[in-house]
Amino acid sequence: MMAQGFRLIGESTPRMDGIAKVTGQEVYSSDIHFPNMLHARVLKSPYPHARVKRIDVSEAEKLGAIVVTYREVPDVVYCPRLVSTPEATYKDWRVLTGRPLYVGDPIAAVAAESEEMAQRALEAIDVEFEVLEPSFDPLDSMRPEKTSIHERIMYMGKEIKIENNIACTMEIEQGDVEKGFSEADVVLEREYRTNRRYHCQLEPKTAVVRPEPDGGVTIWTTTQSIHNTRLLIHEIFGIPAGKINVVKTALGGAFGSSIQTNIVVPIAVALALKAHKPVRLAYTREEDLHEHCSYQMIFNLKLGAKRDGKLTAGSLEAILDIGAHQIQAYPLLGCLVGWWVSLYKLPNLRYVGKAVYTNKVPSCAMRGFGNPQITWAVESMMDELAEELGIDPVEFKLLNHVGLGDLFWGQGPTVKSIIKSSGVEEIVRRGAKLIGWDKRPKPGEQRGRYRRGIGFGRGFHTSSAGGPVPGTAVDYTGAMLKVNEDGSFDYITALMDCGGGTLTAHAKIIAEEIGVPLECINIVRSDTQTTLYDVCTHASRGVYAGGMAALQVAREVKRKLLELAARVLDAYPHALKIRPDEERSQGVIYVEGVEGREITIGELASMARHKNWGTIAAVASVRQGSCPPHFTAYFVEVEVDTETGKVRPIRVVAGADVGSVINPKLAEGQIHGGFAMGWSMAILEDTPYDPENGDLMNRGFINNYKLPTPADLVPPDRFTVFFANTYEPTGPLGAKGIGEGALNPVAGAVANAIYNAIGIRFYELPITPIKILKALREREGG
Amino acid sequence: MRIRFKLNGREVEAEVEPNTLLLNLLREQFHLTGAKYGCGIGECGACTVLLDGEPILSCLTLAVEVDGREVTTIEGLAGDGELHPLQRAFLEEGAVQCGFCTPGMILTAKALLEENPNPSEDEIREYLKGNLCRCTGYVNIVKAVKKAAEEMAG
Amino acid sequence: MYINKLNTHIIPFKFEYHAPKSVEEAVELLSRYGEEASILAGGTDLLVKMKQRVIEPKHIIDIKRIKDLTGIREEEDGIHIGAATKLRTLERSKLIEEKLPVLHEAVITMGSVQIRNMATIGGNLCNASPSADAATPLLALNAEAKIVGSEGERIIPLEEFFIGPGKTALKPDEMLAEVISPYLPENAGTSFMKIGWTDFDIATVNLAVILKLEGEVVDECRIALGGCAPTPIRVHKAEEFLRGKKLTDEVLEEAANIVSGHVRPRARWRRAPPEYRRAVSRALTIDALTIARKRIEGLEVNRGED
Repeated sequence: MMAQGFRLIGESTPRMDGIAKVTGQEVYSSDIHFPNMLHARVLKSPYPHARVKRIDVSEAEKLGAIVVTYREVPDVVYCPRLVSTPEATYKDWRVLTGRPLYVGDPIAAVAAESEEMAQRALEAIDVEFEVLEPSFDPLDSMRPEKTSIHERIMYMGKEIKIENNIACTMEIEQGDVEKGFSEADVVLEREYRTNRRYHCQLEPKTAVVRPEPDGGVTIWTTTQSIHNTRLLIHEIFGIPAGKINVVKTALGGAFGSSIQTNIVVPIAVALALKAHKPVRLAYTREEDLHEHCSYQMIFNLKLGAKRDGKLTAGSLEAILDIGAHQIQAYPLLGCLVGWWVSLYKLPNLRYVGKAVYTNKVPSCAMRGFGNPQITWAVESMMDELAEELGIDPVEFKLLNHVGLGDLFWGQGPTVKSIIKSSGVEEIVRRGAKLIGWDKRPKPGEQRGRYRRGIGFGRGFHTSSAGGPVPGTAVDYTGAMLKVNEDGSFDYITALMDCGGGTLTAHAKIIAEEIGVPLECINIVRSDTQTTLYDVCTHASRGVYAGGMAALQVAREVKRKLLELAARVLDAYPHALKIRPDEERSQGVIYVEGVEGREITIGELASMARHKNWGTIAAVASVRQGSCPPHFTAYFVEVEVDTETGKVRPIRVVAGADVGSVINPKLAEGQIHGGFAMGWSMAILEDTPYDPENGDLMNRGFINNYKLPTPADLVPPDRFTVFFANTYEPTGPLGAKGIGEGALNPVAGAVANAIYNAIGIRFYELPITPIKILKALREREGG
Repeated sequence: MRIRFKLNGREVEAEVEPNTLLLNLLREQFHLTGAKYGCGIGECGACTVLLDGEPILSCLTLAVEVDGREVTTIEGLAGDGELHPLQRAFLEEGAVQCGFCTPGMILTAKALLEENPNPSEDEIREYLKGNLCRCTGYVNIVKAVKKAAEEMAG
Repeated sequence: MYINKLNTHIIPFKFEYHAPKSVEEAVELLSRYGEEASILAGGTDLLVKMKQRVIEPKHIIDIKRIKDLTGIREEEDGIHIGAATKLRTLERSKLIEEKLPVLHEAVITMGSVQIRNMATIGGNLCNASPSADAATPLLALNAEAKIVGSEGERIIPLEEFFIGPGKTALKPDEMLAEVISPYLPENAGTSFMKIGWTDFDIATVNLAVILKLEGEVVDECRIALGGCAPTPIRVHKAEEFLRGKKLTDEVLEEAANIVSGHVRPRARWRRAPPEYRRAVSRALTIDALTIARKRIEGLEVNRGED
């Protein structure tokens, strides 16, 4: 079933915050300014593992700065990420620390009248450290003789002991794995190591906090969830929730790095409360690079298949290097197994996941929450297995894929639902045809310097953490819609738009459902005090889950409009229709087939005011009862220069099943951006550490954390994007998500393309020119 | 130090320190926050403004250096409420996502079109390589610049 | 406490700003402040170093307003390029494109448009990065550096200008005034190549070649290599080897081996290990010689884009 008969859905519309963005008038957190505002700086640990023996801030205070240290912040141990239930949440964070666990760990903070003065005050703080033994590798970190990074952490209100630096574990077994492998004709077992990437969202983390006369605070910050920010500040500082107001502010990208409340927020709150003045704490890029990164993972993956291509068993051991703190690593262990079992049907499976502390920057979600990592490994192995079996990878993957009617794990073992729409076969077959899959070279057969190869990777992501029963993930959204007296509508939601155009999609859903021109919908700049709770813009849920709340309030408002119009027009409400009147920029309610029986929504709303009928409005708080996957398939052609090891993309064909496509150009933009991120995940990005000083090798500077430029990617005419004709029955007007599925299969497709070109497989990301050249030389030598 | 320069077509004056950066002068004294801090070391291009019509990095320019010269920021691009064709094309082609790179990107593109009114896609990709975007993969940005060029050629 | 000194939002310390109008005035300031002063030309390297607290000069001498230091002049002994000439000026100069194509080819790959609008040729050379992209072509061109100081003017070969990473032959009271590049030998073919991780990146390895053939035999060849030693270098041994030889595959291979033999590993190489630099310097040598020859023969050079 496909989307049909829509007026706005499926048409490309400019994003509604676009004019502000192209004219430089959009206000991001870092643009917030108050006349008496103080500028803050953070004192960071220069050691990867240490204890503060002595700290003297008197010189900083003599310079007129407000200073807070780890001794003055509330003695609260917390977890900054609040999208899971307490059962799935381990707490090991403090606002500032006297026992820093990575280079960059905040110890104290200062605020002064200018950034320069704050900097001077920061440099005047005198600290003496006792240096402790650090761990930079999770395997090393787990050795019993290693120094504990956290001895005790908090879980469900109680202290728990940490052994061998293992933060948390998860084990799952289904069926009989040994029997499954013994039935297999081919079994492959490989170790895969991913990179530790940095989000490099363009806007570094920022918080501006204004203390209010009632003892509360107003907060503008880089966040994907204003309500969770409020909840956390309430938890740490004990300020009544109603007196904490977090304002929705444009976000300069996040990619998961602001699902958790960034450390700048509680630090700025502490400073503002002490200073009694607004405080701006804007991280520099080098500080931001010490604030968050992706999870680095080591997989031991084993898959078995019969000659006919059916998978019989799989086992996965995953070791996650989570850095110095848990940003809900436990839910990730669950998601990881969920992504794994939802790619291909495994009749028998075993999973062991371990999250391990190291003295590195804390890892957090990064677009895909473990899915790009495991999909790279699985898609690499499926390609290898297909070759062993002598089956075309396209056929092999289609034969085994989890699809329509199958159970899907949308957010780990507690969030599951049945797949009700799937365009997998359509996007895979059509993509294969468009790239010329049948004509691709045989791996390793090419000679000559420049060798080309085509790779295929497929994947998915969930479209929310909804489900038929409550799991360990919180997932619901609030929405309000009211009709203004001129026939326009105010739409109020706490849901953040990280750049994907999510709120424009909501507005389209509302306008489509009610039958009014899109420009009637006004997206209100709101805050936590004026909105219902929304969990977070993550898990590709903005359109599917948030959009459903928008759809529900639209339906309710429409019902009320028709009821009132029925009185005025002397007709039955269920027989009334609404049509958009573009000239008058509003909707007209009319009786079909009876001329002259009509009223504009503006006239009706005015009448409602004069007659004291009240405001026509609706409020809803909506939980999706399903977590449908959106599917993607990538076919990538690359060229490898065998003299320099450099790889360049030649062509990309990407198919996506996102259900109804609400805004095609922006949906395509998600795919383009997902490819760019996946491409550099595959070949470029990593944040290695310098074992000598324990700091990042790049020291926080992006001249040594390169991202692809437009010249490094493919031009528009060599990038084909198409969408499947599907309709998600549980989605708003048939829609699913796209943000993360746009990325997840890319690295696998690129790795398979490199293999197709040169006949060498790589089991460690990124596949850099250095590694490629080394492997080519070793093969020649051997 | 007192400096005078033309800012978005208007003569202005400012009192600056030798170590004041142009980016901070624009953002803090003139409240023109369209130019963004993205990296501080000239890698990302979010702070791009036009100096005498040429794109430069305001995070690596001392405020004193613009004395007597002409600075254009994104706020100075749209005339009389009318969007510049590049701004319109960026909107229509879906070239804007989070929008943080957009002001710098559009200003660089403006300089490109003034220098080369009919650039090829490869020329656009080459010219924009100092403006990082983490959202769009640049595809719609390249399309938008191409479209604006066509529109401006009339 | 290095990490706490970094702040790329601002320049986190005070300095005095000087904007001399003449070279004499600049030199006078330099001799007065010596090592406490830094010359500001484009600022794309200097300001980054200041933000990163690598240097904290107390005096900044902005030479951008000195007319004598900018511009490109055609003279008998070669092309004179003022030290404060912007890379964009070189990029747009027909004279550079025609007379010094190897320099032009390097300049257009440098940084981004924004960087090239700011950065100067002198700044790139004085920054003395081992992989400075302007250095290798100028070394191959046998360029000279005109240096002015309180004791007057001196001209030294560019090969003697670079002393080590970030180190030049300039004394504290001296500055680079001009780069003088002799003209290319007639009918010479040239090529500049580089490898970075993206299209906007400092070079991991770069290489410039100037080739002159007598019939099929190499009459003269000059090869400069960057990113492979503490400074950009000329590979004279490879040049001598090539003289008088036909550019057969074997000869190209051997020349490439000689070039890659000049890779001198440094302790702080983080971007790529010596073996990668050796392999790439080899490949670039063969590429650059092949392209230079094709250019002599007037053949189209492209890299097989579809």
